[in-house]
Amino acid sequence: MKKLLTITLLGLILVPALLNSVDLKISGEMWNRWTLQNGMIPADTSMTVYNSGITKNFFSLERGYVGLEAKFSDTIKGRFTVDIFSTDLIKDGAGLKLKYAYVDFGDLIPVPDLTTTVGLQKVYFGSIYDWDYSLIGKAPADGYKFANSADYGISLNGHIPQGWGQYQLGVYNGEGYKNYGANLKDNIDPAFLANLRLTPIAGLTLGGSVMTNGSERQFKLSDATENSSYNTQLLADGLVRAAFGPLDIWAEYLYKDVTYAPAFSAKNYAANCLSVFPTLKLKSLIGADIDLTARYERWDETQLPDSKKKNLLNAWTGGLNYNLMPDDTGNTAMQLQLNYERKDYDESVSGSDFANGKKDTDTVMLQFKWRFSASVK
Amino acid sequence: MKNRYFSIALILILALGLTSAFAKTRSITCSGSTTVLPIAQATAEAFMDKHPDVNISIRGGGSGVGVAALQNGTVQIANSSRPMKSKEISQAKSKGINPTPYAIALDGIAIVVHDSNPVKNLSIAQIRDIYTGKIKNWKEVGGPNLPIVAISRDVASGTFEVFNEKALSGSKVTASAQLLASNNAVASAVGSTPGGIGYIGLGYLTGQIKVVSANGVTPSVKTVQEGSYPLSRKLYMYTNGKAKGDVNSYIAFIQSEEGQKIVEAQGFIALK
Repeated sequence: MKKLLTITLLGLILVPALLNSVDLKISGEMWNRWTLQNGMIPADTSMTVYNSGITKNFFSLERGYVGLEAKFSDTIKGRFTVDIFSTDLIKDGAGLKLKYAYVDFGDLIPVPDLTTTVGLQKVYFGSIYDWDYSLIGKAPADGYKFANSADYGISLNGHIPQGWGQYQLGVYNGEGYKNYGANLKDNIDPAFLANLRLTPIAGLTLGGSVMTNGSERQFKLSDATENSSYNTQLLADGLVRAAFGPLDIWAEYLYKDVTYAPAFSAKNYAANCLSVFPTLKLKSLIGADIDLTARYERWDETQLPDSKKKNLLNAWTGGLNYNLMPDDTGNTAMQLQLNYERKDYDESVSGSDFANGKKDTDTVMLQFKWRFSASVK
Repeated sequence: MKNRYFSIALILILALGLTSAFAKTRSITCSGSTTVLPIAQATAEAFMDKHPDVNISIRGGGSGVGVAALQNGTVQIANSSRPMKSKEISQAKSKGINPTPYAIALDGIAIVVHDSNPVKNLSIAQIRDIYTGKIKNWKEVGGPNLPIVAISRDVASGTFEVFNEKALSGSKVTASAQLLASNNAVASAVGSTPGGIGYIGLGYLTGQIKVVSANGVTPSVKTVQEGSYPLSRKLYMYTNGKAKGDVNSYIAFIQSEEGQKIVEAQGFIALK
């Protein structure tokens, strides 16, 4: 509640100030969701026998983005976005996260089409930063925690002339925007990012990202002993997108290599994820603005040293998006989404934590999104 | 039973698709720049007179709107009073859209003042200082002791973007400037404001406003075609890939001698 009060006060102070000095755009996006999940439930206190049953059934406001964009000049603009979300799990009735708070400087470095971004901003890794939630689920790199969708840092964002693509270089905290207090990993190593996207021909996009990150500090401040949790991570992503006619297919491969200090090298492991995400836009075929979506993900953590926790997940999602109220540009103000997702752990290679379908789930999600945007001045 | 439901669903989808396909008429859709709008409208009328079976639908909204609509595949032609940016081209290509430009006319952005204002010339630096609020009175540029009322286009317009790039070099327009949504609105506001200054496409000049030269060059057919006028530009139509069929015929018509005469009749400048 304190946070809400703070943000309200900040808004009351900032908005009139901005109104008097800059061009201002206000925007919002709300995601109202119903989630119904079937999973495995312990049959008794022994936790050895499980039965299939409903594990989740709730309505929620999963996201409530409210944003301000202030244009200070043709080359300098700021963005401030909060996420006010609400589920029954939240004590005060609503949660609050600061999602973006950054300034773009278009002319700080004299390179054409290069912007320097400072503050809490997007992380340009894999498909995270341009994931438009055509499926209700997150981008794989976000969902499997390769990288966070937003983080504090500085980045250079450039576009290659003639529309050949884009590139980003960034340095971030590496902790993301959600961790706080005791959740923080006491991380003193910044994360470094390089990302490249090429569009050699219309419809074909090739991309790759590399990021280094770390977790914890190597030697504890309290007694200078070596920290067994300290590790460094090498994260890599390769993606291909083919968009021809009504069909748009993304394929993405993610790789993570986690290395601990030499004394704890037994904990080293690597993981990878392959996902394929096709969308068929029916508008040109039947007139109605409906998209059929699907995704297959194969998340491989079989190299985890903990034999109980190693796992191989196969996840299938099928969905339908009904787009409503298009504006002059074809962007829609409302969208109804229906998704079915099946998560199935391969027990032949997964550990005991995943035995007997304990972690397998079937989930139906129905989501209604609506958004608005208006220039105040 | 499953096969039966599947067959029914398939038949329904196919039926909807066929209905949609047969319902299609020969139509061209375009949207975007308000500067290009009068050219598009006038040439569309002439083209439809020659091809009564083709319907051309035209909307304004600004160059940015047209480009976004082309990216989203909701129009066949994006009208733009500026070249597309690298970012826009890249975004379009990633969606399978290949923006292809066709120059259709030339335009000079005229600096206009009230008819009673004796100022005849302004340098680009003076124009920039006026629009950024450094120069506030006409007497500072050789005019009467009269406060300057800067009138600008809204930031969504291509006219603003070209003016911003060529005259302001990206500087911020003063907060006291009036931001208006169309060339006509700017012309009208300047015509009714003795201390007013605005900028509009050459096609929008009216009797109540006066053109001042920029860096000593007056916007004219000759100075715009030869590129000596500092605030001149090309006007474009963008299509997805090389224009085909009716869209190609329409654009070829605009670029033809007959089409370019219509361009001139609308107050713009022919390509040659």
